[in-house]
Amino acid sequence: MDFAFLFQTMKTLLAAVPMTLALFFLSIFFGGLLALLIVWMRVAKNPVVRNFAKGYIFVFRGSPLLIQMFLVFYGLGQFGFIRYSFLWPFLREPFVCAVLSLALCTGGYTAEIFRGGLRAVPAREIEAARSIGMSGFLLVRRIIGPIAFRHALPAYSTEIVMMVKSTALASLVTVWEVTGVAQRLISQTYRTMEVFLCAAAIYLVLNFLILQATALLEHRLSRHRRAAPRLP
Amino acid sequence: MLQDQQIDNATATANRLSVRNIRKSFGELEVLRGISLEAHDGDVISILGSSGSGKSTFLRCINLLEIADEGEIWVDGEQIQMVKKQGKNIPVSSRQVDHIRAELGMVFQSFNLWSHMTILQNLIEGPVHVLKRPRAECIAEAEALLEKVGIAEKRHAYPAHLSGGQQQRAAIARSLAMKPKVMLFDEPTSALDPELVGEVLRVMRSLAEEGMTMLVVTHEMSFARNVSNRVIFMREGQIDSDGAPETMFSDAASPAFRQFIGSFRG
Amino acid sequence: MWIFEVLGFGQKGWGGLLIVAALMTLCVTTVALIIGAILGTMVAAAKLSGNKFLRTLGNIYTTVFRGVPELLIIYLIYFGGSGAVTAIGRYLGYEGFLGLPSFAAGALAVGIISGAYQAEVYRGAFLAIPKGELEAAEAIGMHRGLRFRRIIAPQVLRFAIPGIGNVWQLSLKDSALVSVTGLADLMRTSQVAAGSTRQYLLFFVVGGCLYLVLTALSDRLFTGAERRANRSMPSSFSQA
Repeated sequence: MDFAFLFQTMKTLLAAVPMTLALFFLSIFFGGLLALLIVWMRVAKNPVVRNFAKGYIFVFRGSPLLIQMFLVFYGLGQFGFIRYSFLWPFLREPFVCAVLSLALCTGGYTAEIFRGGLRAVPAREIEAARSIGMSGFLLVRRIIGPIAFRHALPAYSTEIVMMVKSTALASLVTVWEVTGVAQRLISQTYRTMEVFLCAAAIYLVLNFLILQATALLEHRLSRHRRAAPRLP
Repeated sequence: MLQDQQIDNATATANRLSVRNIRKSFGELEVLRGISLEAHDGDVISILGSSGSGKSTFLRCINLLEIADEGEIWVDGEQIQMVKKQGKNIPVSSRQVDHIRAELGMVFQSFNLWSHMTILQNLIEGPVHVLKRPRAECIAEAEALLEKVGIAEKRHAYPAHLSGGQQQRAAIARSLAMKPKVMLFDEPTSALDPELVGEVLRVMRSLAEEGMTMLVVTHEMSFARNVSNRVIFMREGQIDSDGAPETMFSDAASPAFRQFIGSFRG
Repeated sequence: MWIFEVLGFGQKGWGGLLIVAALMTLCVTTVALIIGAILGTMVAAAKLSGNKFLRTLGNIYTTVFRGVPELLIIYLIYFGGSGAVTAIGRYLGYEGFLGLPSFAAGALAVGIISGAYQAEVYRGAFLAIPKGELEAAEAIGMHRGLRFRRIIAPQVLRFAIPGIGNVWQLSLKDSALVSVTGLADLMRTSQVAAGSTRQYLLFFVVGGCLYLVLTALSDRLFTGAERRANRSMPSSFSQA
C-alpha cells in the first residue's frame, strides 16, 4: 500500500468535511422545523390541510432525492416571480439549492417518524394533563412533545444517518463535499479503491459519532424506563 | 464379561427403548447424573418430578435434541452410534440421527406446529418429505388421524386459528403420522387452560389403550396413576424411585415422592 | 399545445423514451433486488453463524454498505470495475480503456447496497421464527437442507415481506443515482430531455411523477403480498 498517497488523499478529503457537515446540520435543522409544521398539518382536523400534508409526505418520500434536487436547482429559475425576486441571488447558489432540497426531502421522512412518535403517546396521559388544566401549546410542549420525541428517537437516528449519506448528492449540483472530491480524485488518479477506503472511513466515523450522540440522548431520555436506583 | 455385554445387548435389542447411564451437563451444572431406563412394547411410563429435576432434558436427550455427554441409547434394537470427542459424545452420523428421530414421536409443551402450514399440511409434512411416501396415501392417513383426535373439521385451518387443546391434539396427530415406535410427551398439558386439559388427556389415554409405547413427562397425577403402567420419579438428575403406580402411590413409596405428591394435594 | 408535443409520442415527443426509461429503472432495480437477495442471504447466514470470523465479516459488510453514501459505492463499482476489466483486457493483449457496462455496474452497486439492508431483514425474520417450530422439525427427523427448505425459508420469506418492500422502495430511489454512469434510466432520460428542450421544470416534474407511479404501484403490490402471506396468522395480527 502506498501510504503517502493514502495520506495525501485523506488530507484532501478531510478538507471537504466542513462542507459535508454544513450541508448536514443545516438540512437537519431546517428539515426538522419543516417536519414539525407538516406533522402538525398532518394531524389537523381540517381535511384540506391534512390532505396537503399527506400529499407532501407522499411526494417527497416517493421520489428520488436526486430528481428533487435537480428540480430545485434547474427548475426554480423558470418561475419568473422567483427569478426576479430579491431571493434569486440567494437561490442561484448551488449550496442553498442543495440545503433546500435536502431539507424538503428529510422534512417528509421526519414528519412520518414524528407522527409515529405521536401515536405512541398514551391517551390517558394526555387526559391527565387536560384534567389539571393544560391545553394547547403548553400541553404539546410539556407532555406530548417529550413523550413523542422519546418514542421517535430510534427511527429518527436512522433518518439522520440517511441524511449524512444524502449530502453526497450535493456534489451533483457542483457543491464540493466529501463524495464530490472523492469522485474528482478517482477520475484524476484512477486509484478507486484507495480513495473509496478513505472516503468511506470518513463517513463511517461521522455515522459512529452521530449514533453515539443519539444513543447518549436516548439513554438520558429513558431514565424512567430503567430500574429504580437503590437507596443506600 | 464379554458374555454379560452380549446378554445385555440382547435385552436392549428386544426392548422398544433402552437408555443406559445417561449423563448431561450444561457448563458446570450437571442436569442428568446417570439415568437408565428400559421400555418394553406397550409400556406407558410417566415421568414425574419437580421442575429442575432434569425430566425434560432426559426426554430431549432420548430424541437427540440434546446430545447426552455419556451413555447409550437404543431405539427398537438399533444403537445410536456415538464417538467421544473431548470426553463428550458426538453422534457419528447425522443420517442415523434423523432416522432415529423419525422413529420417535415428540410432543412438545408449546405444541410447535408450523405456523405457516395448515393442520393437514403439518401432518403430511414429515411422511411426504422425510419418509418420502406417496402424497395421496399420506393425506388419507392424516385425515383418519385427525378424525381420531377429533379435529377433522379443522384440517384446512392454520394453527393460530385453533384453541390450545386443538393445537396439541393436532401436534399429537402430526407425531402419529410418522408411525413412531415410541411416543415422547414433554409436559403436553402444561401450557393449556385447565378446561382444555381433558380433551388432550383423552387422546393420550386412547393411544395407551391401543398399545403405543409412551414416555410422558407430566404433572397430571391422575394420568400417572390411572393410565400408565409404570411411574418414574426423578430428583436432582437421578431416578429416585421407579415402579408400578399401585406401589408408587401407596405407603411403600419413597419419602421424597410422598412429599412431592403431597405438594400437589395442597 | 407545446406540452403535448414534447411529452407526446411523436417525432419531437419524449413520451416514448420516458416510458422506456421507466422500464429501464424497473429492470435495474429488479436485477439489483435479486443480487441483493443472494448477497443478503449469505450475509445474514454469516451474521447468524456461530463462527466469530464470519460474524465479524457480516457485520463489516452491513455497517459499510449501509453507512457509506450510495453514490460513493456506485463510483467504486463503476470506476473500480472498469479498472479491473481494463486490467484483464490488457492481460489478454487488448490495449486501451474498457468500461464496465453501466447497467451491470449500476445493478451490481445497487444490489450490494440492497444486500446490506436485506441481510438485516432476513436476520430479523429468522429470529422471529418460534424456536419450537425448528425443534419440531428436528424432532421429526428433517435434515438441515430439508429444514431450511420446508420450515425456515417459507417463514423467513413471510416475515420478511414488509422489510423487502421497504428495501425495494429504497433501491428504486437509489437506482436514480445510477444515472451518473450514463445509463438511460428514468432519471438520466428526464435530465437529457430537460437539457435538450430547456424545459427543466416540466421534465423533472414528469420524471418525478413517473417515480411516484412506480413507488405507489409497488407499495400496493407488497401490501397485497403481505396480506396473502399472513393468512395463516390470527386476524388481529394481519390487521396490525
